[in-house]
Amino acid sequence: HHSMSALMLQLYFSQDELIKELRQTLNATIGGEDYNKDQVNKWTAAILERCISDLCKLGKQYKYIVTCAVTQKTGAGLHAANSCFWDTALDGSCTVKWENRTMYCIVSVFALSIA
Amino acid sequence: MMGTSDTYLIRPNHQEKFKPAVVKECIREVVRERLTGVRYDDEEVRQLSTTLADSIKDRVKKAGFDRYKLTVQVVIGEQRGQGVKMSTRCFWDADTDSYAEDVFITENLFCVVVVFGSYYY
Repeated sequence: HHSMSALMLQLYFSQDELIKELRQTLNATIGGEDYNKDQVNKWTAAILERCISDLCKLGKQYKYIVTCAVTQKTGAGLHAANSCFWDTALDGSCTVKWENRTMYCIVSVFALSIA
Repeated sequence: MMGTSDTYLIRPNHQEKFKPAVVKECIREVVRERLTGVRYDDEEVRQLSTTLADSIKDRVKKAGFDRYKLTVQVVIGEQRGQGVKMSTRCFWDADTDSYAEDVFITENLFCVVVVFGSYYY
């Protein structure tokens, strides 16, 4: 995660801060909910909207990509991986894995510098 | 660093523009090559997801989108009939930036790949 420390300098906040904000967003939107296939669309949309607007509020010279995966807990395994071709000094990403009793949620944020 | 391209261009010309259809084909080729006949196994999939992401990134770069930063995300899961929902939102330049995706499903695993292309001016 060496690119993440360059990102920290650029964005002037700690990765911990972003992770905390992402977790708060998840707790607020789906914390108390049980997996429900009819609600999932609404939840992911709400999560993404909040994440994007929190990131934009930082007012930094970055483009953002946020992805969110919600999956029902059935004991099935899941793996996610990322590979990026970017500016290793200025760009970075952050991934949060979250769960409650009935579902998993993985949110990834990619920040791409336009400086 | 960029070879012969003009470094003062702030908009991609038609040739250089990120083409989702082309990228989708790159994704398809690599995924089918690597995952056909593979059964979900936790350890193997852990490694496979990483190597798949790198391979796809390299393959797309070779396709020639020189002015693009690429972000590749690969999700491989065991197929047990559970519900999975993946979405994305981007804050970028809609004229120049785009993405391509593909889903590969077998009877015991599913693989979702998204490649985002972000123009650097």
